[in-house]
Formats: sequence, structure tokens, C-alpha cells
Amino acid sequence: MGKYLLRRILQMIPVVLGTTLLIYALVFALPGDPVAAMFGDKPVNQAVAAQIRSEYNLDKPFIVQYVLFLKNALTLNFGNTFAGQPVISVIGRAFPVTIKLALMAFVFEGIFGVIFGIIGGLTKGKWSDNIILVLSLLLISVPTFVTGFILQYLFGVKWKLLPATAGANPGFIDLLMPAIVLGSVSMASIIRLTRTEITSNISEDYVRTARAKGMSNRSVIMRHVLRNSLIPVVTYLGADIGGLMGGAMITERIFNIQGVGNTLYQAILRGEGTLVVSIVTILVLIFVITSLLVDLLYAVLDPRIRYA
Amino acid sequence: MKKGSQLTLVSATICALALLASGCGGGSDTKGAQQSSSSQSSNNTVISVHGCEPAKPLIPSNTVESCGGQVVDAINSKLVRFDDQGKAHNDLASEIKGNDDMTQYKVTLVDGRKFSDGTPITAKSFTQAWSWAANVNNGQLASSFFANIKGYDDLQKQGAPADGQLSGLKVVDDKTFTVDLSSPSSTFPIQVGYTAFAPLPESFYKDTKAYGENPVSSGPYKFESWQHNAMVKLRKNTTYKGDIKVQNGGIDFKVYTDVAAAYSDVQAGNLDAIDTIPTSAQKTFMTDNLVQGYNKPGSVLQMFTIPTTMEHFGQNEEGHLRRQAISMALDRKMLIDKVLGGLGVQPTDFTAPAIPGYSKNLKGSDNLKYNAKKAKEYWAKADAISKWPADKSFQMVYNADGGAKDFYDGMANSIKNTLGIKAIATPVPTFSEFRGNVNKRAYNDAAFRSAWSPDYPSPESYLLSNFASSAADGNGSNDGDYKNPKFDDLLKQAAKAKDTNEANKLFQQAEEILLQDMPAVPLYYANNKGASAKNVHGLTLGWNSYPNFAELSKQK
Repeated sequence: MGKYLLRRILQMIPVVLGTTLLIYALVFALPGDPVAAMFGDKPVNQAVAAQIRSEYNLDKPFIVQYVLFLKNALTLNFGNTFAGQPVISVIGRAFPVTIKLALMAFVFEGIFGVIFGIIGGLTKGKWSDNIILVLSLLLISVPTFVTGFILQYLFGVKWKLLPATAGANPGFIDLLMPAIVLGSVSMASIIRLTRTEITSNISEDYVRTARAKGMSNRSVIMRHVLRNSLIPVVTYLGADIGGLMGGAMITERIFNIQGVGNTLYQAILRGEGTLVVSIVTILVLIFVITSLLVDLLYAVLDPRIRYA
Repeated sequence: MKKGSQLTLVSATICALALLASGCGGGSDTKGAQQSSSSQSSNNTVISVHGCEPAKPLIPSNTVESCGGQVVDAINSKLVRFDDQGKAHNDLASEIKGNDDMTQYKVTLVDGRKFSDGTPITAKSFTQAWSWAANVNNGQLASSFFANIKGYDDLQKQGAPADGQLSGLKVVDDKTFTVDLSSPSSTFPIQVGYTAFAPLPESFYKDTKAYGENPVSSGPYKFESWQHNAMVKLRKNTTYKGDIKVQNGGIDFKVYTDVAAAYSDVQAGNLDAIDTIPTSAQKTFMTDNLVQGYNKPGSVLQMFTIPTTMEHFGQNEEGHLRRQAISMALDRKMLIDKVLGGLGVQPTDFTAPAIPGYSKNLKGSDNLKYNAKKAKEYWAKADAISKWPADKSFQMVYNADGGAKDFYDGMANSIKNTLGIKAIATPVPTFSEFRGNVNKRAYNDAAFRSAWSPDYPSPESYLLSNFASSAADGNGSNDGDYKNPKFDDLLKQAAKAKDTNEANKLFQQAEEILLQDMPAVPLYYANNKGASAKNVHGLTLGWNSYPNFAELSKQK
């Protein structure tokens, strides 16, 4: 177990290095000159532009810029944004908000996804199953921004039941609608996943054996069917955390949440390489760590899986 | 950012406020009535308005975009301020007097004005601030605004002394200083109303970084706090002694990344006012009964530039005919009505309706009207000089992130249908890439989108920056590299003019040349659009498209 953990942790190093290099190269290759863009459509003062370029190392070749970034990153100095703020404080502001939002969406999709999936799976073919199927299909096929705008208009503008946007320092109520919007598509996937797993597991031999031995229906479902059905669901949920963190861009824009997605979007628009890479690196770390946790969880759910 | 990519609104100044009700009229009758009723019940409510995260620290000479611009403008007084008509009035200056050829100005300050930190505003507050802004070591984005002051070039050289001062600025006494200019400028007393010319207190130089996060004020509002990516709070400056009467207790700029979200908040009553309208609501905001819409001609001129290098479009007889033909082939009224939902005005000159000096009846302004017959005739005449190849397309390039797609596709169709030639509109993904290409002169055989929002309310800001030879070849915004000595000469005469009226007449003569040469084709004047919540009174947008913050008030 310990050896396995160590190996997985060592594997993270090339993954993180590779992604930062890749992202840095991509941002570097973005067309357009970020310094010239600071002047808007006003004439670019070349002397001033040169001054700004040297301040942000933008006048150096790509590989030198990247190495300088890495060197500073090792000492946790990510430099300043074009607005003159430390990158670390920008990240420090954005991540807590997105983590809050992602966690709320995660809990929402996990609980409701599994519950409705179980109901659907156990009542296969009945009206409750059909309703759940149709609704989940609807949620999967409607893009997030449509659900977002519709809920915002209905609950925020028309009925004024929930805040239309979240704004600064959002609380639970502010993030409730965004979290539901963000989690809705994944919830629908989880419903379908759980439902399919349960319907297939319920007709497995071991279930029949358990029933034949006279086990109560309740413990057959809880101890055998559910436990086996949830393994792929856990995998999905684990992978989804990363997606929720980085993929909240659309939801964050609709509800004006100043989180990671919004910050990343603006950094890309401004061509701020260091900010983009710093944020993506953290997202990669979150992704790698959650997938490690998911792998470890397998062992809990399925005793047959052992790590060495 | 969206805003930036559409139009970078640089300059600004709060309009003359409720005190000058005559100057600030222009609202509809009902609005006027609301305004006067609110000024009687002047209250101390804080108004929340749509804002965006300032791109730079709040230093006047480093703020060239509207997110920071409207904040910086509200907290800084300048030598002059502008009323709703864009007319300049003395503010911190009691007199700005030019010499005979307008190369030297003597500035006298009014008594008793102070910074919010209690220190007096003196001649040195200006000379030191301007020199600091012009110094290349400080990397200020607006440094080129000081280019006409003597000594600027010395401060822009590599290795300029860190504490170098502009040699053209001389302090006479606490209340007086003189400015020597490199070339005559009759508009200098207007230019100094731009935010970059604001005075700075002594404390600024001790720690410019700290100042940028927590600026001292000289204007009607004082700075309270800036929570990054969330909120900038301004409060009424109780020590302010200028002419602007503030009708509210302060302004909270709530940061939004998407104006659609801000508009939803105005509809829901969570935000008091917004200074722009998202594309999704442009057709509905004037009739939306959840908000009060505002829609008036503004100062932004949308054009497209046809570079001089473009084949068959040179600055010669053939080129002039073709340029005029293209201009007359555009059914602007239809495009403005159908694509912009009527939120624009057909152009008649090269400035804009919100600017003193704007004119509707210049000679040649017919060239800016749709006239299919004349367009075909001119195109045929040009073809007689040199034939336009049948398989060649007239190409127009634009940035796709500013919402210009429908308009440019419509233009291409209009040209196609009228002239019977191939015409295409080519998008470039981002504004930054687009501007990069323009700066590199990558579009030498295609027309490209251009827009101008003035830095100060004078035709000069439009003409000098976009069409003077001195701004060509990468030295300014004359991206089409248009050069016409006659035009340059008229601008030079205007620069020596004795007063604004005389100068504006010369500017108009210069524009008549442009109407023939058509270095860029004016498309429309973009309207100033905004909306406020139902219980908010007094939303108007100034010549610079910023709300006149001091006029806003709200019933509880």
C-alpha cells in the first residue's frame, strides 16, 4: 500500500511538469500581443511597451520564460498579474469560491443522482422509472447555459426567490442555484449510470444465490447490489470533481461568480501566461489527487481489489 | 474586457451635474421631472452600479480602459471638467491662457482646493504628476498624452533619469505654472480634462504601489475600498469644494465579468444602474418594464479603414471613386435598424453627436448616404480607369469577440447586392489578435474594422489620431497610413486657432477633405445605452459614455 502510494505520488511529477510546459507553450502561441492589447485601440507607446515587456519577462525567448516561471514557482513565487497583484493572492481568492461551488454541486449530484438512480433501477419499467429516465435525458441534452439562464430568469428575476447572481463573497443561498445548474448534467449521468448498474446487477447469479439462501430483500439490495453498483459511480464522481472545478466557467459567468473559471477565462483573454499556468497546475494537482483517492476508495468498496 | 474589445473608452470626466440642470438636460420629459424631484429629496443612499475589475492599479496616467477609468475619473478633479454637451469648464484652474501662437500656456489655479488627505492642490501637484507620467521608467500606458509638452522626448529615452522632470513645465508660484508645448495646440485647455492630467499629492511618490490600491482623492468622491474582483467602493467626498453636486452618498462598483449577469441583477432589483446593455437585451431593454432604459447618441464612431496600400483603392482618382462607391453602397439605415435594433445613428461626419464641433451638413456628407445608383456609377467610372478583377473579393476584417459579426455580414451583402462584386467579411477570433495584425500592417489588401472613442471632446481627438500623417506608419492610430498635406495643414491651422469655435470650423473643413478621400468609411455613431432599476433616478451617460454618477439617486 505504502509503496503504491509513493509510486503514484512520484508519477505526479512528470504529469505536472508536462502539463505546465504544454499550457505555457499554448498560451505563448496565442496570437496577439498582450502588451499592445493593454493600450486598447490607443497608439502603442513602444518605449513604455518595452518597459512593461521586460518587467514581465515577455521579451525573452519561450524556453527562458518557462524556466524562469518554474524556478520562481519552486519558491512559491508565481509573480504578479498584469494588474500588479500577486498571482498567489488572485488564486487565493478564486479557489475557495469555486471549491465551495463545486462541493455544493458535488453533494447535490451525488445524493440526488444515486437516490433517483436507485429508485429507477429498482422500479425498472414502472412509471417512476420512466419519469426519471425522461427527465434525466432532458437534463443531459440541454446545455448548461440554457438551464442557467432559464433558472436565473425564473427564480432570480421573475419570482425573486433566489439571488439572480452570486457576486462577491457568496454564501450558501447565493450559490444554491448555480450549484444546481452546475451539477444537473452530471446528476443526470449518475442517475443513468446507477440505474443501469442496478438493473444489471440485480439479475446476477450472486443475487439470486443470496435470495435463495433466504436473505431479506433489504440486505440483498444494500449489501450486495448497491455495493457492486456504486463502483463505477464513484469513479465517475471522482473524475467529475476536476471537471466541476475547471468546468464551472459557463456557470460562473452566468451567475457572476468570481471563481476559478472566470479568472481563468479572463487570464486567457489577456494572454497572462503565468496566471493561466498557475491555475491549470493547481487544477491538474486536484485532478491527480482525486483520481488517486478514487483508486484507494475502490479497495474499500470491493475487497477483491488490493494494491501492492 | 468585452467592453474593451468593443471600444476602449479612455477619457472622461463627470459631466456638470445637477447644479447645471440646463447643461445636463437632454433626458426625456419624464426623466427630467424625476430628476428635479429627486434633487429636492437629496439623500445619502449609496448607489450600486455595474463595474468591472480595473486592469491596472488606480493611477490616473496608467488607466486607459473604462473599468478603472470610471473609478479614477470619479475620484480625481482636473484643471477643467466637461458638461453634458462635452463643453469644457474651468474646475481646478481659474484660467488657462495661451500665448499668440498657442505654444505656451499659463495656468492659474483656484484657491482652497485640497486633496482628501488634507494637503493643498498646488502647481507642483500638476507638474510633478505630469513629469512622472511622461517618464518611461514608470511605464505609464497614457504617457503619450504628454508628448506635446517640451522635454517629453528626453524622458522617453532609454536611461532617462528616474526623477527627470518635463523641461516644458515651470512652476511660477504655488498657484501658477507655465507649459511650453513643442507644437501649437489650441485644444490644450480641453485635453487637460483627460484623467491622466489629474494632479497627484506628495504622498503618491512615496509609495506609488500603495497609492494604486488606495488612492487619495481630489474629486467629488473619495475612495473607500477595493476588494479585488468584487467591489470598488467610493463615498461622497465631504471636503470637496468643486461645482459638482453629489446627489447620493456614494457609488459601489460591483464587478461583473458578463454584462448579461449585471443586467439580470438590474431587472431583479439587486443592482441600481448599468452603463451598457448586453447583446441579448438590446432589442428589449427600452420596453422592458422591469427597468428604465437609457438610449442616446454617444461619442463613439464606428468605421472601417481602407488602407492606402490596398490595390485599386490608393489615394488617387480611381481609389477615391471606389471608396465613395463602397460607402454609398452600404444601406446603413437598414443595418442600424435591423442589426443594431436602432441603437445607432447614421453618420454625417468624422466625429460624433456628443462632441462640440459635430456637424450634419458638411460638403460631401452625401457620400455617407445609401445611394445605389451613384455607387454603381462611381464604381463603373473607376473601372474605366483600371478594371476591378471579376474574381476578386472586397474583404473586410473584424474582430469576432466584439459582437460585430452580423453587422459586417450585412455590410458584405449590401456591397454585393449594390455593386455586383464579391464581398466578404472575415472574422479574427480576438480583439488582441486583430489589433496585433493591424499594428503589423498584415491587412494591406483588405479593409478592417476601426472605431474611435475620443480622449477629449474635440474633433481634433478624432482627426489627429486617425488621419494625420504624424499618426501614420505606426506612430499613432492612423492604421490606414493616410497622408494628405492639405488635411494636415488645416489641422495645423486649427491648432493655432484663437478659440474653440474658430478651431472647430477648421476641423470641419478638414473633414470635408476626408469625405472625398474616405481613408476610413464611417458606419454609425454608437448610442450610449444603459438601464437603471425602477426606483433609481437620474441615469444619464456623459460624452465619454460613463454614467454621470453624481446625479444618481434612489428612493428607499
